Amino acid sequence: MKKMFAFLRSMTFGMILLCGVLLCSFAGSMIPQQQTAMHYVNLYGERPAMAILALGLDDVFSQPYFIALMAALCLNLLLCSVLRVRSLRGASERLRRRALEAKAVPISAEQAQALHAHFTGRRWRQAQEDGRTVFSAHMIGHYGSFLTHLSLLMLLVVGGLVLAGAEVIDRTVMPGSFIELDDGARVSVQDFRIEDETGRLDFMSTVQITAPDGRQSAWTPIRVNEPLRFGAYKVYQQTYGTAGSVRVTNEATGGSEAVALTEPVFLTLDGVNGVFFQMLYAGYIQDAEGNFTLIGSTDGEYDDPVYDVRVIAEGETTAVLAFPGDELSVGGVRFAFEAPVAYPGLRIKRQSGVLLGALYASFVLITAALYVCFFLRPVCVAVGDEGYALASPKQQMGLQLEIEGVLGVSVKEGEKR
Amino acid sequence: MRDACFFGALIVYFAATALQMIGVALRRRKAVSAAEKVFVAGLALHTIYSVWRGVEAGRLPLANQFEFASGFGWACAVLGVFLHARMKQDWVLTVSAPAAFLVTSYAAFQPMEIKELMPALRSTWFGLHIGSAAFSYAAFAIAGGLGVYYLFKLSKGEDPASHAMRQADYMAYRMICLGFLLLTVVILSGAIWAEQAWSSWWSWDPKETWALITWIIYAIYLHQRLRMNWQGKRMAILAIISLISVLFTFAGVNILLPGLHSYA
Repeated sequence: MKKMFAFLRSMTFGMILLCGVLLCSFAGSMIPQQQTAMHYVNLYGERPAMAILALGLDDVFSQPYFIALMAALCLNLLLCSVLRVRSLRGASERLRRRALEAKAVPISAEQAQALHAHFTGRRWRQAQEDGRTVFSAHMIGHYGSFLTHLSLLMLLVVGGLVLAGAEVIDRTVMPGSFIELDDGARVSVQDFRIEDETGRLDFMSTVQITAPDGRQSAWTPIRVNEPLRFGAYKVYQQTYGTAGSVRVTNEATGGSEAVALTEPVFLTLDGVNGVFFQMLYAGYIQDAEGNFTLIGSTDGEYDDPVYDVRVIAEGETTAVLAFPGDELSVGGVRFAFEAPVAYPGLRIKRQSGVLLGALYASFVLITAALYVCFFLRPVCVAVGDEGYALASPKQQMGLQLEIEGVLGVSVKEGEKR
Repeated sequence: MRDACFFGALIVYFAATALQMIGVALRRRKAVSAAEKVFVAGLALHTIYSVWRGVEAGRLPLANQFEFASGFGWACAVLGVFLHARMKQDWVLTVSAPAAFLVTSYAAFQPMEIKELMPALRSTWFGLHIGSAAFSYAAFAIAGGLGVYYLFKLSKGEDPASHAMRQADYMAYRMICLGFLLLTVVILSGAIWAEQAWSSWWSWDPKETWALITWIIYAIYLHQRLRMNWQGKRMAILAIISLISVLFTFAGVNILLPGLHSYA
């Protein structure tokens, strides 16, 4: 049991796990993910494709073995961090004693003075003990490794929860309308545009969030990189599309309404006579005999839009091409075709604010911890008449070389290449 | 005129590299000190070019493969000049001048025209994310170069315990510490940016995944160095192997594995 525990907290186990994550990541980046079986057969041939599917390499990052790897890494980090805490108590004092007890490197009185002046100049903390001066610096560095492992653990756990816990809804909303979420929250879109005032490409919607309790955000423009955050909700400008637009007017009452046409739909008042919208085309070519060839949009542009509709009246169906500005009167309804309208595709995300705060905290912590770990390495140097002794839990080759430089040893012109 | 600055910098980097190599090989101090001055002149030209391009583009010149490669080469030169000023060791230029020249040469083969920033790149995280990546890669490139230098010297019979060899080995490690910290910043700022732009912190995009692979490889390097006390030849070999991962993340992913970072 003890051996097992020792292995689980060992660096060897940590390295094995990191290699496992590395291999999975390599496979996941080289093999296209989440494709159909036929895609792999076409790409690699039948047998390799079967192997990929059997090993789950078509979706590596959601396989149980990958999740188990990450969980084991968290366990290793946890044990590693917990064990480091114990060793941190009294670490500074132990380091000072090590420097005092270490075998001193003999130096002359002049060199000792030079070292003294050097460390004093660097404003290292100094204390007199056993007739020697003990210089110490960066004692916070004792916590570097511990904090790095702890913050990495925090990052993995909180990051996993954030990724798993986010509720994401993708919806398209016509400008001037709204969508309602399951919990009663409402996202309204005032307008949408594809270009800014200068003609530069810039997808922007003006949206408002109404929380289930009735609280409302201000109308806020959102664009890529600038989502609207309100309470637990975040609304992103995700995609856009173009819809046909027709104004339908009841000829009897005069009531009218603009209808967005995003998919085939039968527009009728009496259920029998009306206009069946098939598709919106981006343009057309008309030959000498007056025949039309319709062109679909490949780049989202609709330069010469054409509505392909079927007019159904008194049992007869007639194919009609309608252009913006055209009007049709069928079954007591007047259909006035207008220029197509662009509409946004929104992504609405609901996420716990506490988790987000913890995630940001882990980001800050890991960056600070790495800085402390690499650049604030604890060190003690005892300087006395008999020589100097250096003690540090980490490699101090840089300091060693620095001391050698101060003492004027080992640095020879011949070695400068 | 603007592009002339870039190609001028490239030629000057080449001249600095050639002078340095000749000076070191033939033990001519004059050539080595001339290389130092020429290299600083190359950096000055490169800086002028980057500022000029940035002003013309109205943004940081780090938005596409050319600009990033140019920034990466510039960062190699900045680190090289900074380290040389601090350490006064010739091997700093022996490594950083060729690194700056090679990376900038790669940039010269990329399309150079200034394009408008696509909406996804218009973010406050742009500078931090991509700037950190340029300096992180530069630190790794210098560490890998030091690995090559170390192995070369070793093959020529240099004593691994000599001051210069120990210093080269140590500096490679310190460069990797710097690169690793910056790569962490790159990954974290990228995650925050991705969440703002696409709503997802992490989507296993090839560039992201290879940044993670590189991070893991360097984490292994650092553990071997700090815990297992590996030094010298083994570390030099590992620094070179790790650099291959950096170069693949930098250029290979863009060519072979298209994804969300295809513009990079």
